[in-house]
Amino acid sequence: MTATTSSRPAAARAATWTPVLPTVISRGAAALVEVLLYLVLTIGVAIVEYYVAGPFTDFGPSNWWIGFVIMAAWTGWHWAGAQGPVGSYVDHYIADLDGMPACFSCIAVRQLTRFGVLFGLPFLILDSNVVLAVALAVVSGAMIAFTPDRRAPWDLIAGTVISQSLAGETTRTLPILTKPSDLQLSNQRVAENKRARRVLQSAGVSSIVVSGLIVWSIFSEAWEFVAASDFSWGLLRDIGWFPRRDKFDLSTLFVGTLWITGIAMLVAGPVGLGVAIYLSEYAKPKVRSIVKPAIETLASIPSVVLGFFAISFISPSVLKPGGSVFGIDFGIFSLLSAGIAVGILTVPIVASISEDAMRAVPQELREASYGLGARPVTTSLRVVFPAALSGISAAFIVGISRAIGETMVVFIAAGGSGGAIFEADPTKPGQTITAAMASLGAGTDSVAGSGIAFQSLYFLGALLFIITLVLNVASDAIVRRFRQVY
Amino acid sequence: MSNTAKTSATGRPSLGSLQKRRTADVKGQVFLGLLLLAVGLAVAMVLAVLFSVIVDGLDVLGSRLWSFLSNPSSSDPEKAGVVQGIRGSLLIAAIVSVVAFPIGIGAAIYLEEYAEDNTFTRLIEVAVRNLAGVPSIVYGLLGLAVFVQSLRGITGGSSVISGGLTLSLLVLPIVIITASEAIRAVPSSLSDGAYGLGATQWEVIRTQILPAALPGILTGAVLSIARALGEAAPLLVVGAAAFYTTGFQGFLDQFQGAFTALPMNVANFAKLPADNWAGHAAAASVVVLVVVFFINLVAIIARARITKKLGR
Repeated sequence: MTATTSSRPAAARAATWTPVLPTVISRGAAALVEVLLYLVLTIGVAIVEYYVAGPFTDFGPSNWWIGFVIMAAWTGWHWAGAQGPVGSYVDHYIADLDGMPACFSCIAVRQLTRFGVLFGLPFLILDSNVVLAVALAVVSGAMIAFTPDRRAPWDLIAGTVISQSLAGETTRTLPILTKPSDLQLSNQRVAENKRARRVLQSAGVSSIVVSGLIVWSIFSEAWEFVAASDFSWGLLRDIGWFPRRDKFDLSTLFVGTLWITGIAMLVAGPVGLGVAIYLSEYAKPKVRSIVKPAIETLASIPSVVLGFFAISFISPSVLKPGGSVFGIDFGIFSLLSAGIAVGILTVPIVASISEDAMRAVPQELREASYGLGARPVTTSLRVVFPAALSGISAAFIVGISRAIGETMVVFIAAGGSGGAIFEADPTKPGQTITAAMASLGAGTDSVAGSGIAFQSLYFLGALLFIITLVLNVASDAIVRRFRQVY
Repeated sequence: MSNTAKTSATGRPSLGSLQKRRTADVKGQVFLGLLLLAVGLAVAMVLAVLFSVIVDGLDVLGSRLWSFLSNPSSSDPEKAGVVQGIRGSLLIAAIVSVVAFPIGIGAAIYLEEYAEDNTFTRLIEVAVRNLAGVPSIVYGLLGLAVFVQSLRGITGGSSVISGGLTLSLLVLPIVIITASEAIRAVPSSLSDGAYGLGATQWEVIRTQILPAALPGILTGAVLSIARALGEAAPLLVVGAAAFYTTGFQGFLDQFQGAFTALPMNVANFAKLPADNWAGHAAAASVVVLVVVFFINLVAIIARARITKKLGR
C-alpha cells in the first residue's frame, strides 16, 4: 500500500488517503468466520446439553438450530458490517447509550442481552432449561469483561483480525477535482441508483399483486359456489345456515352481522365520541397523557382475548348477574354479549379517528367562539363538532367496517359453531358472516371434499370483501369531499 | 360552577368571569358529566378486560406457570400447555420480519421518494389503503388458496410457513403506511443538502433519509409484529391445528409440519367446555397480552432511545 503513495508527486500526496478499508472479500470472510463460530458454538452447546440434560426431548434438538439459523441469517444479512451483526447492533444501541467505555454493569447487560436473547431465550422458552440459559449468559459476560476492547472474543477474531488482515490491498485515492467533468456522476453511481429504484419499485408493486391475488383467489372459488347453487333468493332463504348439509341461508348471517354491528356501534359510538370530545376539547395535557395510552392499550388487546372476555365476564357478570335480568334468559353464548365485546374493540378506532378530526379543526375557530362568549359546551357542539363532522362520520364508517369484519370474538362468544338456525333475537346464539367463515375454515380439511360447502367459504369471503371495500371507499370519499379546507 | 366561570377546562381564560353572569351552566355541566362518563366507561373496559383475564388465569398460572409455558397441548387439563403456540408465534414473528419488513419498507421508500405522481402510483396507493381495511379473515382465504393449496409443495400445506406468509401479507399495508409517514416526516433540508453536494437519489435515501426515518420505521415495524402475533382468524382458516403431537422433529418439519400460535391456543381453550378449561384460556390470554404489551413497550423504548441517539 505504500508503493502507490510514494510514487505520487508531493502535491497529490496530500489528497491521498489510505484508510484500512474492508473489502468485499474481507467482509465476506469475516461474516463466514462468524457464522462458523456460531455453528461451532451451537454444536458445542448441543453436546453440552446432551450430557447435561440427557437424551433429546420432544422439543430438544431443533432449538439450537433455530438459534443458529437466526444468527446465521442475521450475519448474512448484515455481513457488510465487518464485525459481527450481533456485536455492532447491540454495541451501538445498548452499550453506547449507557455511556460505554468502561462500566462493567453495562457490559454485563450487553452480554446478557446478546446471549440471553440469541442463545438463552430458545433454551428458556422451548426447553425450560433455566440453568443452561443463565450459565451461558454469565460465562459469556465474563469472557467479554476480560477481553481487550471489551468485545466478545469471537467478534475480535471474526471482525477485527480477519477483516483487517485481508483489508490491506484497498487503498483509496481521493479524487482531486480539477475540471468540471470530475463532477459528473460516475456511471457506477447512476447504475446503482437505477438498480435501487427498480428493486424498490417491485416492492411497491407488491400491494397491487396482493390485491390481485385476493380478488382472483376469492372470486374464482366464489363463482363456483354461485354457479353450483343455482343462485336464487328462494334457495338462499332456508331454515338456517348449515353449509355441510347444503342449507345456505344468507339471511341468518345477515341478521347476525347486523345485530353484532348495531350493538357494537351502540357501545362504541357514544363512548368513542365522548372520549374523543373530552380528549380534544376538555382534557388537560396531564389527564390526556394518562387517558390516551389507556385507550390505546385497548386497541392492542388481541380480539381472541376479547372473545374470551365476552364468555368469561360479559355474559355471566354483566348480562346475568346472579340469575336473569328483565326475565330474559341469557345463555353464555349470545349475539348481545359478542356485540358488546366487539363494541369494546371498536371504541379506540372511533375515538382516535374522531379525535384526530377534531384536533385538526383550527384553533382560531375555537378562539372566535370563546371570544363571542360561548361556553365550552357550545364551542364543542356547535363549532368544533360540525367542522369535524366529515372526519367523525369517517370514524364511524371505519368502526362499522371493523365490526363487520371482526371474527374471533363472534366465533368464540356468539355460539352457533358449525351452523345456526335463523334467529332474530340478539339474546340468543347466532352467527355472522365472519363467524360462519371461521367455523368453515376451522374444519378446512374435512370440508374440502364435501359438496359446495368449501366454495361457500369463499362466497362469504367475497361478500365480506365487497361490503368492507364499499365502506372503506365511502369513508375515504366522505373525508375527501366534505373536508373543509381552512 | 365557580370554576367554569373563571377559566374553561382547557385552561383558556374565558370572559365568563367578566360578565357577572350568575346563571348556572347546567348544560355545560351535564355535557361534561356525560363526557367523563364516556371516558370512565372506556377506562373501565380496559381495566375490566385486563383484571378479569388475569384473575381467571391466576389459577393456572399460579399453580403451574412453568409447566403451562413448557408443555405441549394435551387433553389432560393438568398437563396442557402452550409451548407449541409460543414456538409457532416466534416463527411467525421471524417470518413476518423477514418477509413483510423488506417489502413494506421498500415499497414505502419507492412511494415517498421515487414514484412520480401518475396513475400507476395512485393505483398502488389506493391498493395499500384498501388492503389496510380488508378484514383479517379474508387474508386467511388468500392464504388458504395461494399458500396452502397452490404452493403446497413449498409450504407443506397448513404449516407455519403458510401462516407466517399470510400474516406477512396482512401486516404489509401497515408497515407501508407507518414507514411512509416516518419517511415523510424527515425534513427536506436534509435531502436538499445531500442533493446539493451531488449525491444521487439512492445515496440521499441511504445516507440521509433512512437513518433519520429509522425510529419511525422501526416503531411501525415492531407494532406490526404485535398485530401479527395477536391475529387468530387468518390462522384458523389457513389451518392452524387445534391439537397436535410431535415426536422427534427434523429440521424442515419445524416449518412444514402442523403448527399453532398463541392466539389459537386461547381460541381453542375458550372453545372447550368451560368447567375444565376456562382457566387455561385465561392463562393463555395473559401470555398473549404479556407478549403483545412487551413488544409495544420495546417499540416505545427503542423509539425513545434511537431518537435520543440521533439527537433530535
